[in-house]
Amino acid sequence: MFICKSKLESRTKIIIMMIIGCLVILLDSPSALLVCFLASILLVVSSMPTLKQIRLLLIFLFFTTWGLIYSQGIFYNAFPRTVLITLVPVDFPLIGKWTGGIHVYREGLFHGIIQSLRFNSTLVIGCYIVWSTQPRDLLLALSQLRVPGALAFMVTTALHFIPVIASEAAAVIRSQRLRGARYLRFNLFASVRGVVNSFRPILAGNIRHATNLGESVESRGFSPETSMQRTSLRSSQMGRLDYGLIAVLSLCLICVIALKVLYFCYANGIYYGSWLRGLYTFTREIL
Amino acid sequence: MVPIQIEDLSYTYPSRETPTLNGINAQISPGDFVLLTGPTGCGKSTFLRTINGLIPHSSGGTLTGTVCINNTDVSTQPLATTCQQVSLLFQNPDDQLFCTLVEDEIAFGLENLGIPPDKIRQRITTALEQVGLSGFENRRIAELSGGEKQRIALASICAMQPQVLLLDEPTSHLDPRATRDILNIVKQLNTDLGITIVLATHRVKQVQHLCNRVWLMHEGNLRLDLPKNEAFQDDTIFHNLGVELPDSTDTTTPMSTKRTSLQHSNGTILGVHKLRFQYPNSDINAVSDVSLKVSRGEVVAVMGENGSGKTTLLHLICGLLRPTAGEVKVDGKTTQQIKLRKFAGKVGIVFQNPDLLLQAETVRSEVRFGPKNLKVKPDKLNALVNDTLTQFRLSDFAEEAPYSLSRGQRQRVAVASTFSLHPDIFLLDEPTSGQDARHLQSMMDRLCNQIRQQNKTLMFATHNIELTQKYADRILLMHEGKLIYDGSPITAFNDQELIEKCSLTF
Repeated sequence: MFICKSKLESRTKIIIMMIIGCLVILLDSPSALLVCFLASILLVVSSMPTLKQIRLLLIFLFFTTWGLIYSQGIFYNAFPRTVLITLVPVDFPLIGKWTGGIHVYREGLFHGIIQSLRFNSTLVIGCYIVWSTQPRDLLLALSQLRVPGALAFMVTTALHFIPVIASEAAAVIRSQRLRGARYLRFNLFASVRGVVNSFRPILAGNIRHATNLGESVESRGFSPETSMQRTSLRSSQMGRLDYGLIAVLSLCLICVIALKVLYFCYANGIYYGSWLRGLYTFTREIL
Repeated sequence: MVPIQIEDLSYTYPSRETPTLNGINAQISPGDFVLLTGPTGCGKSTFLRTINGLIPHSSGGTLTGTVCINNTDVSTQPLATTCQQVSLLFQNPDDQLFCTLVEDEIAFGLENLGIPPDKIRQRITTALEQVGLSGFENRRIAELSGGEKQRIALASICAMQPQVLLLDEPTSHLDPRATRDILNIVKQLNTDLGITIVLATHRVKQVQHLCNRVWLMHEGNLRLDLPKNEAFQDDTIFHNLGVELPDSTDTTTPMSTKRTSLQHSNGTILGVHKLRFQYPNSDINAVSDVSLKVSRGEVVAVMGENGSGKTTLLHLICGLLRPTAGEVKVDGKTTQQIKLRKFAGKVGIVFQNPDLLLQAETVRSEVRFGPKNLKVKPDKLNALVNDTLTQFRLSDFAEEAPYSLSRGQRQRVAVASTFSLHPDIFLLDEPTSGQDARHLQSMMDRLCNQIRQQNKTLMFATHNIELTQKYADRILLMHEGKLIYDGSPITAFNDQELIEKCSLTF
């Protein structure tokens, strides 16, 4: 796996991911979520990804955005909702009467945009971390952040083996086809069973790889209990940029939480301060 | 120096009832070079893991008896302490390397031990010198060859300055030249630095001249523990257990396994024309301008150094990979134009790792899977499955789960399940990997006999010269993606320059 350049320390990347993860849950307005998404994109760009990584990210983004917007557009069930396009009219035989018609709703599309911005922001940061961090740095960072050793190792090995798993999965599926296997059949049960069976060698391979790697690192003295006495060949001290970025994002998160709490109190009649009207408006319109 | 004392050592894995190690008593003196051998599944790897403390520290199961290093039982001291005295090198370098850069990989163990960065740098330089890779500090591991990766794995444990080095089949994935390099380095560590070595392998011939002591295991027992000069005086026990003998030069060719003039081909089954393949993100052609024709009934060996394109060629032939340029024709049909599923029964492949093929719940259903997909009639299907199980001596395990079997047995299941389709072209990728001499010979004998009887074609990729001499009618030598020789094995092996070029000299 190609590792991009990044000036940020691994712990900073994980903390940024956690803060942005919280922000996208708290924020509701498309404009605020768009800012989060653009900030995530900026991080990826700063790590100078390869063309292949950019292409992969664009494919991910296209499918998640399209899938979320389209599915929310169709399955949106809150009110009010405005029909934009009718895919299956109510009077269509059988399906129309059974489903009450299948429509694309304007509010659903809008909700889909919000959801896709939420999802894509975290997806982009996840890609940024995977592409710009060495497995050993990630393991060290998770240990320093007091993540339990077993969990930290699990996360790291999962990322480490993504390319291996992908190539083994392709080999398994193709070799089964070469033995006449059909994955898409009219018999749904047989199709599902075929897919499940194909997962067996992939899963067994993963377990074997992870076991071997686990034994290898343990044989070289890696242990969650001794992670604090660990030294590092490369200095991995957090610098001004790291502290600055974490401070700014933490401040943003605290402000958003405070404003949301104030607005919640106002909206539910718990507390109202006339001197806070500007903040109420800002929260409603912008956040 | 660390003497190791092993007393009444037994171990049973959590999910098993029978012990994998059974009352082993042994002693390793400082500076010993021990060759540990035995048939597949005899417990060699488990034994090594008890010596370096991975068992019981990282596994469940029941361990009785003791392994003492400097009179301290390894089961009672932390693994981080044991690993400074005893290090373990694993079989597959890809499964044990963790970092992106060489320098980081070697530093990893030292960082875990809390060694200061300036000392880490010194040890990295020394370790790279020891494995003959000075100046590789900033190389990316992904760009190294298989042999270089294994040397980096060795450097990463040498840097921890262990007094005992355990090696678990360290050369099974390597070509003969890389094997020779690794073994020479290990011998140097033994003689120059006095590091005690325990090397587990099936390839007795390659290691016997380096060791001074031989351990032979069978079914969890240490059946033989003797100095080298005594161990091979009576080779009956090795022969009985199917273990390779140090002086065996069995290149004789039974009539049943070599093609006779009467069995000559009935035309071309495989045609490869100006084949080229480039992996994504690579500037190098993994296979370049390869053209060849293979007739029905031929047994063809594909040989070459690690990364020469052998596996890629096999994958291109069976349609698992699509050529960048050129074409592959199987029985006159171009693979690019036909869906993979339509090739079922025409081409079959068994990977180096047989586990990638095993997907069914029982051995019987695994063998049945292919023919059933091809809609063989039920009465014929049962006969076919039973016949295949018998041919490959799998009838006794027919109702067992493939994953519960030993590595050798799993490979036989993979071969049988592909063979049950009776493909016109049978592709076998490195059948020697993890196999002892008896299992390998038994499997190849059966396969070659069947292939010849049915006038099918077998192509196998291997580093093993004896296997090629014994079974192949023809050899394809690959070098840096190019086919540099296509002809008789005898002629090829007599051409010193050619086999040197393909790293086939040991």
